[in-house]
Amino acid sequence: MKNTLNRRQFLKLASAMSALAVTPRAIGQTTTAPRVVVVGGGFGGATLAKYVRMWGGNVQVTLVDANPNHVSCILSNLVVTGGLSMSRITLGFDSLKANHGVTVMQGRALAIDAPGNRLTVKTATGNQVLPYDHLVLSPGIDFVPAAGNWDPKLTPHAWQAGPQTTLLKNQLAAMSSYDTFVMTVPKAPYRCPPGPYERACVVADYLKRKGRTGAKVVVLDANAGITAEPEAFGHAFNVTHAGVIEYVPNATVLSVDSSTRSIVTSAKTVNQAKVLNYIPNQRAGAITKYLPLNSTGFVPVDPLTYGVASYPNIHVIGDSCAVPSSDNKPVPKSGHMANSEAKICADAIVRAFNGEAPDANIATSSACFSPITNRTSSWLSTNFIYGDIFDANGIVKGKGMHRVDIGEAAASMVDGDSYQDMFTWADSIFSDSFI
Amino acid sequence: MDISLLSRATLAGAALLVAAMPASAEPGRLLASQCAQCHGTNGAGPGFEEIAGKDLFNDLIEMKYRPIEGIMDRQARGYTDEQLRLIADYLSTLPGNGGD
Repeated sequence: MKNTLNRRQFLKLASAMSALAVTPRAIGQTTTAPRVVVVGGGFGGATLAKYVRMWGGNVQVTLVDANPNHVSCILSNLVVTGGLSMSRITLGFDSLKANHGVTVMQGRALAIDAPGNRLTVKTATGNQVLPYDHLVLSPGIDFVPAAGNWDPKLTPHAWQAGPQTTLLKNQLAAMSSYDTFVMTVPKAPYRCPPGPYERACVVADYLKRKGRTGAKVVVLDANAGITAEPEAFGHAFNVTHAGVIEYVPNATVLSVDSSTRSIVTSAKTVNQAKVLNYIPNQRAGAITKYLPLNSTGFVPVDPLTYGVASYPNIHVIGDSCAVPSSDNKPVPKSGHMANSEAKICADAIVRAFNGEAPDANIATSSACFSPITNRTSSWLSTNFIYGDIFDANGIVKGKGMHRVDIGEAAASMVDGDSYQDMFTWADSIFSDSFI
Repeated sequence: MDISLLSRATLAGAALLVAAMPASAEPGRLLASQCAQCHGTNGAGPGFEEIAGKDLFNDLIEMKYRPIEGIMDRQARGYTDEQLRLIADYLSTLPGNGGD
């Protein structure tokens, strides 16, 4: 296919061109409006598209997504338990077009031609080549499955919402008393740190409410302990859902057999589970294969612009990026954080078009609510400010996002008010990103 | 290729562009946009309390320094006092919808 480079060719060309790339604007196209192309219409990409249009005057924005709409992972565990409908978490792109003048192209991003500032997109009517001045990648996650014959159509992950969510919902609904629901927690970093624990809670709650006597939820965690909200989820596992949830830490997945719904981990083996909800380890979305990745499979970025080293006009936001931080804990991969990062990236791109340096007085945050039952929710909050970041000995190791606060709901705050707040928050972030 | 020529062409193009672009961002706009995930774009909902068109600096400082009562007390701890001032000043200039 034309315009496609393998990684080595891409790096070589990009390196040769970098000396010329004083500004990212393509030569010969200076009389047209500046162009931003965005790959991925989740919380990161949609917010980026909207805010560049809001803040960028005549900047043209094209949003590329493989699907006709986005299905939110936020609230999707409540679709798994039948509490909400799929339509409640299905977010269209029509408002981005009508309210903000974003051009939306349904297709799959195939290849980046960095020296030529062009993206090739596979659409229903053939390949399209989109020229850009800035390219923003917000492709979410890809999976890194363990050995075996994992087939997500048999043993769903439901970690990208949509048909997978419906499949897991149907499998859960078919469970009987004394059946076992087995799920995994991927090795960090992964999308939505509290998400797997939330799922365990609402599945356990569902089984109890539906009178599935003796049914169990086995949580096989690849990490040494609960990675998010340890107090709230620890209490939920040990008290609220005691006797239903079995939590197994240090369970590295060694193999998966979807045909028999069996899983082997370093800590426990389960054969013939009724439901096997295998959520594999994760890495950056496929289109980032052209870019340098870190040891955990994500793209290191400059937190002032979300730009990629050596490619000043290619940016990566959301789950796929890796932001330098001070405590060696990854900046959380969440819809809320993707929205937060998108605004910083949008502002930096608009400033670049104006010949201005990026704003260094920036902060990012993530906040979320996690249902514990069908009436109660916990919450989690964390905040970062740009500045010096430190090593384990407190020595400055560079610039990045310094975590200034993190906290979860105290036990007394896991209540019905928080459950209602969850919907207020979800509707607000849905609107801020897609409307 | 003549790099200096290329650079001149690029800069000339950039100069043309500036006329078509909006003025520089107001201080506080980017920081305040981080409130919108829970309070709506430009602080005008949908979401929790409407924050557009109000001077919330004293409220934000109170939340930042009091014991944790809820999630907003944590979020307020995520900014310097100077950043909270910028956020409050910017939000106070926005029209909002007149909601609570």
